[in-house]
Order: sequence, then C-alpha cells, then structure tokens
Amino acid sequence: MSLDLSHTKFDEMLRRSAMDFMRGDAPKRVVEELLETDIGMSEGMWKKMADLGWLGILIPDQYGGALNSMTAAGVVLEAMGTGPLPGPYFSSSILGTRIVLEAADESQKEEILPGIVDGRRVLTLAMIEADYTWEPETLSTRALLTEAGFVMDGIKLFVQDAAAATHFIVAAVTEDPATLSEFVSLFIVPAASRGISVKRLPGFLSGRTFEVTFKGVEVPGSALLGNRENGRRALEAAIMKSIPLLCAYKVGGCQSILNMALEYSRGRVQFAKPIGRFQRVQDMIIEIANHADAARWATYEALWKQDVKGFDPESIHLAKVLASEGYWQACTLGHQVFSGLSYSMEHELSFHTRSSRSLYDYFGDPGFHRRKLGKILLN
Amino acid sequence: MDFSLDYTEKQESFAVEVRKWLDENLPDDLIPIRDVCKMSGDQWLKRREFTKKLGRKGWLYPGYPREYGGGGLTPEYTYVLVEELSAREMALPPLYDMGILASPAILAFGTEEQKQRMLPPMFKGDVITWQLFTEPEAGTDAANQQTNALRSSREKDYFIISGHKVFVGSFPSRPEQMYVLTRSDLDAPRHQNLSSFVIPGDLPGIKVLPLDLFTLSTFPAVSGVTGANVEGVKHSVFFDDVKVHESCLIGKEGQGWMVTNATLEVEHGGGRGGVVRKNYMAEKFLEICKTDPVISRRLKNNPELTDSVVEIYIGSQVERLLNMRNADGKGAAYGGPQLALYSKMFGTRFVSHMARVLGPYAYTQDEKYALAEGIFEVGQRCGICLAPGGTPEAYKIGISRALGIGR
Repeated sequence: MSLDLSHTKFDEMLRRSAMDFMRGDAPKRVVEELLETDIGMSEGMWKKMADLGWLGILIPDQYGGALNSMTAAGVVLEAMGTGPLPGPYFSSSILGTRIVLEAADESQKEEILPGIVDGRRVLTLAMIEADYTWEPETLSTRALLTEAGFVMDGIKLFVQDAAAATHFIVAAVTEDPATLSEFVSLFIVPAASRGISVKRLPGFLSGRTFEVTFKGVEVPGSALLGNRENGRRALEAAIMKSIPLLCAYKVGGCQSILNMALEYSRGRVQFAKPIGRFQRVQDMIIEIANHADAARWATYEALWKQDVKGFDPESIHLAKVLASEGYWQACTLGHQVFSGLSYSMEHELSFHTRSSRSLYDYFGDPGFHRRKLGKILLN
Repeated sequence: MDFSLDYTEKQESFAVEVRKWLDENLPDDLIPIRDVCKMSGDQWLKRREFTKKLGRKGWLYPGYPREYGGGGLTPEYTYVLVEELSAREMALPPLYDMGILASPAILAFGTEEQKQRMLPPMFKGDVITWQLFTEPEAGTDAANQQTNALRSSREKDYFIISGHKVFVGSFPSRPEQMYVLTRSDLDAPRHQNLSSFVIPGDLPGIKVLPLDLFTLSTFPAVSGVTGANVEGVKHSVFFDDVKVHESCLIGKEGQGWMVTNATLEVEHGGGRGGVVRKNYMAEKFLEICKTDPVISRRLKNNPELTDSVVEIYIGSQVERLLNMRNADGKGAAYGGPQLALYSKMFGTRFVSHMARVLGPYAYTQDEKYALAEGIFEVGQRCGICLAPGGTPEAYKIGISRALGIGR
C-alpha cells in the first residue's frame, strides 16, 4: 500500500536544523526573556529566521520565497512549539502570508510578499471584535469610501502580535455605493498610520494579545486587498488553511510536555521511589501521551491532505479540536505531575500553559469546530 | 508522508487474483457475523470449510514461512488479502483461532521437530487452537497460575496437568489443540515456575463446559470487520490428571513466562506492523445517523445529540490514525498497548454516546425495529466488557514500562 508516514529526507533535515535552532538560538532562557516582551522576538533571531528561508516558507519563488509543502512548514512550526517560541512568525509568515495569497491582486503580492520573506514586513490579522466570533458576520469596524480611499473606524480585540506588526490586515465592512450591499473587505494598513492605537491586554494567560483601535484611519484605495467582495471568502480560506500549522505548533508543545513529565517522573523520588512508579502518576502521563499522539497524527494527516488535495475541511476541524484540547489538557496534567515546582513563572511548563490557553480559542474553540464537524457529518 | 491506503500496482494485480479466488471459493450463503452468540452450527461449519480452503492456499496464515505451510507473503500482500476479505465482511482468520497467538510462540521457542509437527496443521486450517491462560486466580495477574503440570513420578517423560481454566475458547465445544500455561514447579520463584504446552484437545481428562455470558468480546474487536473472529462464546476447561508428553512442552521447563510474554506482546497490541482495521460499527452508526429517517428526526429535534455523533466520529478517527501509525511501524515501544487501551476506552465512550443518540433503538435486536441488523445492541453489550485480551490496567502497565517509568 502507499501508506508511508515517514517524513521525507528533506523534511528530516529541516527538522534537525529547526531543532538545532531551538537548542542553540532559542533555549529556555531566551524563550523566557522573549515571553516578557511585547514583541516576543529579537531582531537578531528574526534576521536568522529570514536567512534560513523560514519567513517565506509559504511564499512562491516569484515573490522571493522558498515555497515548501505544508508538511515541511509543519516541521518548522512543530519545532517552534517545543519552546514554545513566541513572536509573530505564525501571524506573519503563515496566516498573514496566506491571506495575501488568497486576497491580493498580482501587483499587491509583488509589493507585499518580498518584504515578508526578508523580514522587513511583519503582518498580523486584525479581525476579531468584542463579539468574539470567527465567522465575521457581525463586524462593526467599517471602512467608508472617500475620494482619497477609505476611512476606518472600529475596535479590534484579541489581536495577536500587534506590537510586532508593521502592517495590520484589517477586516472591515464596506458598502457598495450603487447597490448599498455590504461586504467584509480586507485592507493592509501600516501599523504606524495616524489614528491607530495599540494596547496589550494584561493577564498571565492572555499571551500577546492586544486591543487595536482604529479612529478615523485614512488609507488609500490601494490598501484594499483584491476587491471589495472577496474579503470574506479569502479570510475563511486563509484561516482554514493556516489551522493545521497552528496545530503543528501545539503538537510540538504537547511532545515537549510529555518529554518533561517523563524525565521528571523518572528522577523525582517520593516515598522512596521515583514518582513514575506510582500508577496514579502513570495514568496522567499516559493521558498526556494519548493527547499528544492524537493531536500529532490528526495534524500530520491534515497537513498531508492539504498538500495532496488542496483543501479538506473535515481533517482541519478534527486536527484543531484534538490539538487545542490536547495542548490544554497536557498542560493541566503536566502541572499535576510536577505540582508546586511548575507553578513558578520560570518553569518551562508555565510557558506552555500560557500558550495553550491563549491559543485555545484562536481560530475558534473546539466547540466551534465540533459544530462544523457535526454539520459535515449529518448533511 | 502518505496517508492513503490505495493499492500499489503490484498490490492491485494481487488483489485481482484474490478477488477471482474469492469469487470461486467464498460460499454465497455465509452470513456476516453480527452477534457471535447467535451463530448457527451450520454457519460455523461453512466458515470452517472456507477456513480450510484459505489454509490450503496458504492464505490463512499469509505472513508465515512457506516451509511450515504459511503463505510467505510480505505485509503489503497480507494487507491486500485482509482488505479484500473485509470488503466481503470476512475476517482473517474467519473463525476464532488462537493459533494466531500460539504460532509466534512456537516459532520463537519451539524445536525444529515441533515446528514441523505443529505448524502445518494450524496454517492449513485443520487445527483450531484455544489459548488457555486465564484462571479463576490468574486474570490480569497471569503469572499466578494454579493449574499444575508436574512431572509424572512413574513416567519421567510425561507431565500430569490438573487445574481449572476459565473464560477461554469459543466454537466448537472442543478444539483440536490447546495452548496452555501452567505452573510446573511448586517451589521456584514467581515467573520461573511456569511452563507452556501445546497439547491435543482430546486428551483424556479434559472437560469443557460452556459459560452462560451475556457478553465476552471486546467492543473494538467486534466493531472492526477484520476482528469478527473474536468470539463471544466462552468456556471453563477442567484438567483432571491429564497426561501430556514432554514433546508438547514449548520452550524449556520453567520458561513459560518468557514464552507467554511473546504471546502477550502480540495480544496486547503488538505495536509494530500489522493491518489497518476499520471501525465497522462507527461507520455503520454514522451512516444510520445520516440516513435512517427515525434517527435523523431524533437528531433534528434534539440538536444537543449532534455532540455525541461528533464525539463518536472523533474517537473513531483517533483510533484509525493510531492504527495507521502502528501499521506503518511508527508506534514506538508503547504504541501497541496505547492503541489497545485507546480502543477499549473509546468503546466505553462510544456506547454511551450511541445510547444517547439511538435511545432504546440501541438495545434491540428485534427483526422489525433493530437498526443495522442489531449490531448496536451487540455493541452495547461489548462496551461493558473490557477484560478480554487484557484489562485497560494491564495495558497501562505495559505502556508505562515502555515509556521507561514502570518497573
């Protein structure tokens, strides 16, 4: 049979270099420092990621990128998830890139994408509002057509990596002046534009999420990605296609937690034996392994399906449910294995706990994706 | 990376051969097993005949060496065989035959004489083997054997077996062969006091009594088409001073635990290589939810039930993925028992979600009202039954050891 769940030689090389990068450039101490910053990334590290070709991993050659398979990109994201390495890599080189590829016209791609590849340009999506939903039906941010272009007003919430971004991709409602019908449209807006203010949302578990306020922000007509009508479709496609790579990041996190818990339970002695000998502790570790493996193989399959079939919603929803829940639960179970030690902000498990919480709802919580699966299964 | 199970060209041409052979040799009047407890003697005999035909062809034990009557096929061809049989709702082997667990032990620990004497009749389908490990005092603690096999004081080349085995076997009421774990030394330390035997089933002093059980088959085994050989019919077997020649001893005297572990590793999920099983019951359930008018109305009127449909889907997908991972040898040391554990625990969740969705339709085998030929009622019974092949707790012990945190 054609079944072969090995990575290619190329992907294995990529994994080795990504894991070397994590060990050498992003060890625990560095991750810990980055987690405290608003940007989550250092200039040096960003430059190195550009040199390695990772920033353009989804960008075709003609725009200067080093387009790779989803499976290969998954290898990089999985390695980053072991840190977990913070920063705008996913927001810019995965999601942001994908939105541009889906929505922008040719000249916009030529304008935007090379900057992502060399790291000058950092994108992030500003879509979510107070009424938290990943189906943008009820956006209140509006972009009014003017003679010079558009004027934007609205408040975007839980925006990832807003402090790192050089440009926001803003989802806003526009109106066709002739028919008065409304559309969700996408705009690329420099973060330094007049009228934009950015505030980080405090909270240990909130990750790097921000409120971004747009108050009378003027953008030229060329800021509209593609046309007015295609925003919603492009957004949905880009988000769905990016989900498996977010899952890969979570898989890296799960594996890292499993390794940590195994190591600790072999060495930590209580009642005169390593705690791993206690069946209660084994129960928790086995459950972590089950979560990690379920997330891993569902993610790998979703990545593979995207590589060979283009777009397969069923596998994407499945992977998102398993990876979001798996990462969350692996952290919770991990804290039970480590107990007091892991409540320290310096403990690596706490890095993952922050990330598992702040990414749980990102692109829709497991309930959202379960409902989507239900629709597919019963229709 | 390739998750597809499509045949390669070589596999496809073998599949053509298999299909042709099945067209000619698989009887038309075989009824797929839904509830093993209800299988008629006539149906059993038909399966037995088909089993022998497979055996003659070398396809009953396709992966085993040709020199002993196996098929000598590589896993890629064995896969085709299992797939083609399962497309016709037929398992491999088509009947309960624990030769699949005894033969690895004979191959690993038997003498050349034993291999030549024991394996060909098994591989050709002439001999059905029961595995006799479980006893009233040796369940999960399989090493706690109370059935003694002690050297005869008068004839030194014979052992005398006496004791009581339980929850063993299946159809027919007396197999040709038994694979027995015994205590052969009353003084030696635990694990060094055991011996394994493969003995004829008709020796004087062996008594077989059927048990009256409402279930004894694990849920995933029944749910997978390829696992329909795991039967829900079980027996007690009594040994009353049964005289057994030492040529039946597998491995050396006192090596029984080592021999048994070779078997248990296979039984507890193996982990490396193998076939990709389908969860037949999950597929049927999802199909019924979509197509059965009564159930789809129930789902429409009770939207919260959709959650249960989704849970069953998710669980069956994880089971499938772990299965594929193991089949491709990516399961690491703990993958075998991990999948076995996952499947069993998923089975318990499956039946509770299924009961939510189907309501009382989950419990009936009535000819007129049952869904999917009553398999969901069988599933409900099986979902209660977690012990066969090892309890979840036993699997966890195996996983923990493989992860390097157990003993």
